Amino acid sequence: MNYRSYFKSEWLSLLRRKQDTLNALLFFVMVITLFPLGVDPSSEFLSPAAGGIIWCATALAILMAVEGMYKEDYNDGSLEQWLASGLSVSILVFLKVFAQWVMVVVPLLLVLPLLAQMLFLPASALGVLMCSILLGTPALFFIGSIGAALTVSLRRGAVLMLLLILPLYIPVIVFATGAVRAAQMEMAYSGQLAILGAISLVALALSPIMAAVSIRASVN
Amino acid sequence: MRKTVKLDIKNLSIERGERDLCCELSFSVQSGDLIRIAGENGAGKSSLMKAILGWVPIEDGELIYNGEDVTQHRDMLLQDQLYLGHTPGIKNVFTALENLKLYCPDKSDRQLEQALEEVQLLAFSDTPAAQLSAGQKRRIALARLWLTDKSLWFLDEPFTALDVKGVSVLEEKMAAHLSEGGAVVITTHQPLLHLSPKVIELSV
Repeated sequence: MNYRSYFKSEWLSLLRRKQDTLNALLFFVMVITLFPLGVDPSSEFLSPAAGGIIWCATALAILMAVEGMYKEDYNDGSLEQWLASGLSVSILVFLKVFAQWVMVVVPLLLVLPLLAQMLFLPASALGVLMCSILLGTPALFFIGSIGAALTVSLRRGAVLMLLLILPLYIPVIVFATGAVRAAQMEMAYSGQLAILGAISLVALALSPIMAAVSIRASVN
Repeated sequence: MRKTVKLDIKNLSIERGERDLCCELSFSVQSGDLIRIAGENGAGKSSLMKAILGWVPIEDGELIYNGEDVTQHRDMLLQDQLYLGHTPGIKNVFTALENLKLYCPDKSDRQLEQALEEVQLLAFSDTPAAQLSAGQKRRIALARLWLTDKSLWFLDEPFTALDVKGVSVLEEKMAAHLSEGGAVVITTHQPLLHLSPKVIELSV
């Protein structure tokens, strides 16, 4: 195995398991569609809340996608093969998370304009919302990958994983919704976007190492 | 001929939770050696392999590979070995051929098909592994052994789920590997029919 063959196989595997990506997308669309029906469908309420609603739905959809990220690899012995391969487990983690991010976030971005329109988000803020998703979601995936690696060997690890990583999602959601809200009020939003980018870069630097240590501990 | 290998295990002790496994165990593996790690269930056979490969922590002792301390230069050992565990990393979403391609990307389709033919799986080369039996998946994993030029094979219960023909093919391949200067460390409860290993007995 080498990095190239692993990355190719990861893509192929994600394409063959389309239902996992579709589940996350369907969940995202359903939460956003049902929210106005359950609370208040008026534009006065939805327009200022749109950023928050979309970001909470995004975070939950990503949680769904990352929760089982390593489960199959653990069950079929692939994680043992990672450790025995002599390849850097951190790089394998990075490649896996990157592939998952593309597979989940790209479809999500494609349906976003329609859903934003439904929530009466002004067109001027849509670009900022998409930027915040592009800059913030890598952090959610990388942080989630640590939780998924830590709990991969546990039979009911999903709840523990939620408890571990959900608090770490809060800063991302706060700054992302802050950026969208600032754009809606025609205020400066570049600071919030810069912080989102910084959080993602820190997560990118630390998470593959931490996930690799967690995988080693879980396989052991 | 395979690359010459020499692995010295000196006074190795492993601890798992409250249990002591392999107290002060010493043995060496070199080119041409077939080592069978024997012992009852729970004696620590798999843990010993995983400790040598580095993902079960070592409590005490030394691991020397080709004159270098393995804890400092683990990559040297990992590059020269191939490990097959209880679950050998076969992906259900891939076909038999794709599974081999993942682990042996530098081999041509012809070589991969030839390896599958040797384990009587050529007819299933395009069948998803999800539709294959446990024994057939095991055979795909074993085909990796003769596609690579790794000197040191670590085989953890490789005969599990194999039929008589599969066992015989694996024994033949192990014999060929040893004659080329390779070495094999194997855990199995099943006696080897045509090979005479050195036995390391672990007790619970």
